[in-house]
Amino acid sequence: MLIEGSNVEIETSPVAEAEVLDQVTQPWQVMILNDPVNLMSFVTLILRRIFGYSEEKATELMLKVHYEGSAIVWTGEREKAELYVQQLQTHQLYAVMEPVD
Amino acid sequence: MELIKNDDSTWTLSKVSELEHLMLSRLPESADSTGCEEATDRLFPSPISPDAILDYEKTSSADSDWKEYIEPELRVNFRDSLKIVADDLGKARVTKDEEVNCYEFNIPTAHADHWCSALNQARIVIHYRYNLPDEDGVLDMDPNPEKWMATLQSEIYGMLMEFLIKKVLWVA
Repeated sequence: MLIEGSNVEIETSPVAEAEVLDQVTQPWQVMILNDPVNLMSFVTLILRRIFGYSEEKATELMLKVHYEGSAIVWTGEREKAELYVQQLQTHQLYAVMEPVD
Repeated sequence: MELIKNDDSTWTLSKVSELEHLMLSRLPESADSTGCEEATDRLFPSPISPDAILDYEKTSSADSDWKEYIEPELRVNFRDSLKIVADDLGKARVTKDEEVNCYEFNIPTAHADHWCSALNQARIVIHYRYNLPDEDGVLDMDPNPEKWMATLQSEIYGMLMEFLIKKVLWVA
């Protein structure tokens, strides 16, 4: 494997390379899990604020969390997913993430 | 208890009864999850979904990174909000409403998010510390005075959160 922008060549196995590539390109989903404490209006407010969703979409996601136990609120690269989970947890929402199957 | 907008980007929480004031004055200590592992786990959860299909090593590494780098930031944020709220509460004034003693104090608009954070932290800790039932189970709850008081406290905090969300934050 040749490191971009340099002449350094590192020997890696195709399997290891594929694994690294998978880790970089695999999308992750941010989920909110239901909890018995957070107010519905609060969850909707935070979803609107963090993701810029319309009131209608934020309410729809909040209701999905409430009635189905969880909702996927965003999907994309891992680094950004971590940032969103941190922002949601800053507001005490029960936010987690996982790689998309 | 009512929340009134002033002209100088502050709000006044007025007609706060003795009971409501007592409950609010307990807010900072009630938000402390020390000694209640379930509440601490809920306030600082793992970032990885419990259903994620990840090997143990990867989950464990993500958890420990989160504990090392993110959790301290969350703790600082939570603590800062509690301090701001404690300061606002410390400035409460005694007033009268139809000859009955009550309290009022100002909440700057910029503090509204800190108030919601502090109230929510306390509601989470109270819920786990007193093992309160979910919303639908309150009427079937054991006649336990401590639990009833904790429920009342949590409801008052929830009501104030609703005021702040609908009147201050929703439009901000």
